[in-house]
Amino acid sequence: MASSLSCLLKLSLVADQANAASGMAVHDDCKLKFLELKAKRTYRFIVYKIEEKQKQVVVEKLGEPAQSYEDFTASLPADECRYAVYDFDFVTEENCQKSRIFFIAWSPDTARVRSKMIYASSKDRFKRELDGIQVELQATDPTEIGLDVIKSRAS
Amino acid sequence: MSQLAETYACVPSTERGRGILISGSPKSNAILYTNGRSVIILNLDKPLDVAVYAEHAYPATVARFSPNGEWIASADVSGAVRIWGTHNDFVLKKEFKVLSGRIDDLQWSPDGMRIVACGEGKGKSFVRAFMWDSGTNVGEFDGHSRRVLSCAFKPTRPFRIVTCGEDFLGQTNGLMSALADLYHVLHLGPIAEDGLSISRAPAWLCRACPMILLKDHSNFVNCVRFSPDGSKFLSVSSDKKGIFYDGKSGEKIGELASEDGHKGTIYAVSWSPDGKQVLTASADKSAKVWDVTEDGNGRVKRTLTCPGSGGIDDMLVGCLWQNDYLVVVSLGGTISIFSASELDKAPLSLSGHMKNVASLSVLKSNPKVILSSSYDGLIVKWIKGIGYSGKLQRKENSQIKCFAAVEEEIITSGFDNKVWRVPVNGDQCGDADSVDIGSQPKDLSLALHSPELALVSTDSGVVILRGTKPVSTINLGFAVTASAISPDGSEAIVGGQDGKLHIYSITGDTLTEDAVLEKHRGAVTVIRYSPDVSMFASGDANREAIIWDRASREVKLKNMLYHTARINCLAWSPDSSSVATGSLDTCVIIYDIDKPASSRTTIKGAHLGGVYGLAFTDEHSVVSSGEDACVRVWRLTPQ
Repeated sequence: MASSLSCLLKLSLVADQANAASGMAVHDDCKLKFLELKAKRTYRFIVYKIEEKQKQVVVEKLGEPAQSYEDFTASLPADECRYAVYDFDFVTEENCQKSRIFFIAWSPDTARVRSKMIYASSKDRFKRELDGIQVELQATDPTEIGLDVIKSRAS
Repeated sequence: MSQLAETYACVPSTERGRGILISGSPKSNAILYTNGRSVIILNLDKPLDVAVYAEHAYPATVARFSPNGEWIASADVSGAVRIWGTHNDFVLKKEFKVLSGRIDDLQWSPDGMRIVACGEGKGKSFVRAFMWDSGTNVGEFDGHSRRVLSCAFKPTRPFRIVTCGEDFLGQTNGLMSALADLYHVLHLGPIAEDGLSISRAPAWLCRACPMILLKDHSNFVNCVRFSPDGSKFLSVSSDKKGIFYDGKSGEKIGELASEDGHKGTIYAVSWSPDGKQVLTASADKSAKVWDVTEDGNGRVKRTLTCPGSGGIDDMLVGCLWQNDYLVVVSLGGTISIFSASELDKAPLSLSGHMKNVASLSVLKSNPKVILSSSYDGLIVKWIKGIGYSGKLQRKENSQIKCFAAVEEEIITSGFDNKVWRVPVNGDQCGDADSVDIGSQPKDLSLALHSPELALVSTDSGVVILRGTKPVSTINLGFAVTASAISPDGSEAIVGGQDGKLHIYSITGDTLTEDAVLEKHRGAVTVIRYSPDVSMFASGDANREAIIWDRASREVKLKNMLYHTARINCLAWSPDSSSVATGSLDTCVIIYDIDKPASSRTTIKGAHLGGVYGLAFTDEHSVVSSGEDACVRVWRLTPQ
C-alpha cells in the first residue's frame, strides 16, 4: 500500500521535472479523455487549454460523436491558442471507411505573443502524453483548418 | 466552378531597333510568338482561340514548331531551350541549357532530329546545333565574333546551315557584318538519317566543316531564310538591302530591286509556300511582297501598309507567310493579317497589350465592352465575344497608373502630379483636361451617379475634384494607401498604411470623420462599394478581404484569407451577391456573400505574375487581367 503510494508520488514528481522547459504540468484528465476517444470513440473532439495560473494543460471542451467538423471549428476561439484532438472519419478511393486522429495546434495570428510562446514550448511535451496521434497540423488562421485541408492531410 | 471562356491575348513584345521572329505551324494556321515569359499560340482562323505556355523562368525570345507539328521548341534569354508537346497539356520533353546568353533564333532540321540555336554567347559559342531528344552537340561553329541574329536550315539535300549576325571584321571602311555558311555534317556522313553515323564520327566532323564567309552586306544582317525548295536563300539587313544566294554553293545570285525598295532597315523575311514570292517587313512602316524572278532577283509586286497612328509604333518588325495569310507585326504590337490571294483587301488588325494590364473597367451601359489599361499609357477596348475592338487614341500618351471610366469620360493619372479627364465618344478621345494636384495620386475614384465629383488620394491626404477644379485639398495626417467615394458622393472611405479604414462624410467641400474601423492587419490596398451601396469591401496587403455593412459598419463576412499574397484588386457582381478578389499570387477567388468564406470558387493561375484588374460583366462572368498582358473572361457555374 505504502509502496504504491510512493510510486504514485514519484511518478508525479517525474512528470513535473520533465516539463522544465515551460513549467506546464499535464492534468491526468487530458490523457484519460484521449484514451477514451481512441479506444471507445466516446468523443468526436477534445479541446485543451493551458491554465496559466494553475500551470496546467486541462480539458476545456468535449465534442459528442454526432457533432460535425463545423461544430469543432466553431469551438476554437478566434483570438486565443488551444490544442485540439479531432477524430476524422472519411472514405478512401477503394471505398474503405477509415479514421485518422488529428492533433491540431491552434495558434491564430491575432492571439497574444505570450500565449503563442507558451503553447509552442509546451506542445512537444504534451503531444508525448497523447500516444496514438496520427497527423499533426499547425493552424494560424481559419483557412488553415478548412475541411479541404483536413481531407488532403488525411490520406 | 469556373471555366475559361475567352482570352484576349497579349501581343508580341517588341524592342526598338530589333526585329522579332514569329513562326507558323506546318500543319495548321497557328502562329507562335512570345511576350514576357509566355509563349503564345494564336490560331489565325480564330483569333480568340489562344493558348499560352508559361513555363519559362526567363523572358522567352523565340519559339518554333517541329516539322511534324508535334513539338514546340522555345528559347529564352538565359540560353535555355525547352521542348514541349503541342497537345497533351504542353508536356515538357526536355530542357537544355544551350548557350550562355540570350538565344535569338532557333531552327529545327527538316527531319526534326536536330535543332540549331543561335544568339549571344559570352565570347565562346554563338551557335550550337544539338540532337532534339538528347541534347548532344552536333557540330562546331566557328567564325562569329558577335551576336548571331538568325540561322536557317536548308530544307533539302545537300544540307546546309546558314547563320547571320552582327559581326564586324575590322575592315578599313568599317564593314560590319559577315554571313557564315557551313557545310553541315549531314552532308559528309554516309548515311545521315539514322543519326548514328554522326555520333560515331566526332573527330572528323569538326575538321570537315568548311565555312564560307559572305560579306555582301554593310550593316547588321537581321534575318536569313531558305526558300522551301532549298534552291536559294535570302538575307535581309539593316542596310536596306536583301540579297539572294544560291542554296548549295553560297554564291550571290541577285538582290531585291532597289527601285521601289525599302527605305529603312529590313527586319524580317518570309518565303511563300511555293517559293516564288517573299514578304519583307521594314522599319519604313511598310511590308513588301516581291516576285522572285528566274535570274534570282526580286521585283516588288506589292507594297502593304498597315493603318496606324503614324508614329514609330508603325515600324514593322516581324513578318510571316503562313499558307494564305500574310502576318505582319508592328513595333507597337499590332498584328495585321493580310490575305495572300487578295492583296487588295484591308487587313484584319489584332492588337492588345504588351505590358502589365493594371486596370479594367466595364461600362454599366454596355456590359459587353471592356476597357483595359496598362502602365505604358495604352487603353484598349474589347468586346465580349469578338475580341479586340480598338485602341483609345489619346492626344497625349502619358503613362497611366490609376484609371476609372464612366459613360462618356475617362479619368486617369500617371506618375506625375496630374490628373487627366478625357471625354470619350466612340473610340476617339476629345481634348483632355488636366489638373495638377500637387503630389502623385495614389488612388482615384469617381462618384458613379455624379461623375464630375472625384476623390483622389495622395500620400498624405485626399483631394476632392469637381470637374477639373480641386475644391479642397485635405491633409489627413496619415499615410493613405487606398480610397473610395460612394456613388452618390456623400461618403468617402480612406484606407491607411496601418490597415485602418477611416469613414468620412462629405458635406460640401469638407470631410468630417465619422468612424475608424480596425480589422485589417496590413496596408489597405483596395476599397469598393457594392453596386446597391449597402455594403463595401476592402482588401489589404496581408492577403485578407473583409466585407462590411455600410449602415452599421459591422463586419458582414470575414475570414476571406484564402489568398497567399497581397490582394491587388476587388470587384462586386452587379447584383451585389458575390465578390471577386485578385491577388499577386495569380489566383482569383470568388466569394458568395450569403455563404461562409470557406465555400469559395478559386481560379488558380489566372495570370502569370499576378492579377491586377478585375470586373464582373454579368452575374456569371468575371473578367480578369494581369501581369502577363492578357485579359481573360471566366464563366462561373453555380455549384
